[in-house]
Amino acid sequence: MMATYIQVEFARHFRDGYNLVFALLLPAAMYILFGNIPSYTESDLGAGNVKFYLMISMAAYGAAVSTVSIAGTVATETMQGWGRQIAITKMPPAVFVGSKMIVAATVAGVSAAIVFALGALTGATVNESWIWGVSYLIILIGAMVFACYGIGVGMAFKSESALGLATGLMVFFAFFGNVFMPLEGTMLDIARFTPMFGYVALARYPLLKDIPEGTEMAPDPMWMMATNLVLWAMIFAVFAVLATRRVKARQ
Amino acid sequence: MKTDAISLSTVKKTFVAKHAKVEAVKGINLQIAQGQIVALLGPNGAGKTTTVDMILGLTQPSAGTVHVLGQSPRQAISSGQVSAVLQTGGLLRDLTVQETVKVIGTMHGRADRVREVMERTGLTKIAKRRVGKCSGGEQQRIKFALALLPDPDVLILDEPTAGMDVMARRDFWQTMRAEATGGRTIIFATHYLEEAQAFAERTVLMSLGRIVADGATEELRHLINGRSISATFCSEADAQQALGFDESIVLTEQQGLRYHFQCTDSDQFALALLQQYRGRDIEISSPSLEDAFIQLTKDAS
Repeated sequence: MMATYIQVEFARHFRDGYNLVFALLLPAAMYILFGNIPSYTESDLGAGNVKFYLMISMAAYGAAVSTVSIAGTVATETMQGWGRQIAITKMPPAVFVGSKMIVAATVAGVSAAIVFALGALTGATVNESWIWGVSYLIILIGAMVFACYGIGVGMAFKSESALGLATGLMVFFAFFGNVFMPLEGTMLDIARFTPMFGYVALARYPLLKDIPEGTEMAPDPMWMMATNLVLWAMIFAVFAVLATRRVKARQ
Repeated sequence: MKTDAISLSTVKKTFVAKHAKVEAVKGINLQIAQGQIVALLGPNGAGKTTTVDMILGLTQPSAGTVHVLGQSPRQAISSGQVSAVLQTGGLLRDLTVQETVKVIGTMHGRADRVREVMERTGLTKIAKRRVGKCSGGEQQRIKFALALLPDPDVLILDEPTAGMDVMARRDFWQTMRAEATGGRTIIFATHYLEEAQAFAERTVLMSLGRIVADGATEELRHLINGRSISATFCSEADAQQALGFDESIVLTEQQGLRYHFQCTDSDQFALALLQQYRGRDIEISSPSLEDAFIQLTKDAS
């Protein structure tokens, strides 16, 4: 049941291409650009180099945006009455949501893997090789938080352009979440409260963990990063549930 | 005795909109025996779709109970004994026809029936086309195919011919007739009176959340006694005189000197119209389901 559904899901996302270009190619292109052209990217940073740092940033951004755009289709599909169609089959709703999550995780995984592969090819290094794997896993798991955000926005605004808005806002969150460029001062203080901050900071933690506190680029305390991620996960989950309930109540 | 296909007892549904409660269904009782073909007839807002949604378990009733083949709606859906053509939407525009039928077929656990159903509903030719590129009629056919996938005992159709042109509508009912064999129970909601008249043995009339009439479609037509009769007069005075012919005469409509009446003895009245009241262009007709409908919904409100 699930396998066929997932297969068809992939077929249609590949056919429509648009979303996938943003999800898969944009982060890769940004990594190539910002990770390789400036001269400072070869410099050491934490357990590796600046390239590795930028690779994590772009991979995290790509994984999160992929998740939003795939998960958000749940909302547009509900608008089209697909949810009702599925509700009159044997398939439990959990399998429907589960299939979506698997598709979202796969696309997010591929998106991050492309950036990681480009990183490996262009000289992103780290002196302990386990950091590759752990960073990748944090990126992938953390990205799932944004699934609820995608569903919530889609349901709240009830249109396909809402999905564009949702992914567009992700760029803003990324800038303000210290993802694209290092923020300082007041900007950084505000950034600590934005949704992508905890996520990307946790993903960078294995790389930056040994930088002594108080020096530049030292990681934030673990509780701060974790609290940010968990709180936003909860906010998005509640948002998704409320928005979905509102839509369902009107039907 | 066989279990009823559908059994609703004192079912109510109240929606809470922004500031007001909306009673979409105001307590209905309905028993439908297995093998019956029933039309659920009513204008928009009568509560047809809400009733269908409750039968399918898509909406929970605010009060009362719903049984489908003696089980809860969800159980009946899970066992593939009941399926439906939903009213609006329900299809993904960017899937192909084939993919749609295949995916839903798998969800019903009946992937084996995909090819057969597609052939029977005439979808094989457009299998590779995207749903979004299909005409309204074709999309309804796809939804019909989806409903046939589990080979259901009870088939529910909510406005199945909405958005179809006359030809497509006729084709649809022809396919439908072929599927209505073998003791299958069919319930369809419609606001086309002709469809109820042509296809249903029993018609349930709904208006403003209530059942206002329920009976054999033929009987329903006889619910209004007498005939409609219309005539053109030479003067107002003649028409006024005609109105006093006997007590059963009721004026239903007037356009200039063209008068439409209801009466019980149309033969005598027609004769009088011609001989005494100088009426011309006389037309006599038995009331259509539409007349019955207008009459009954008026009575109910």
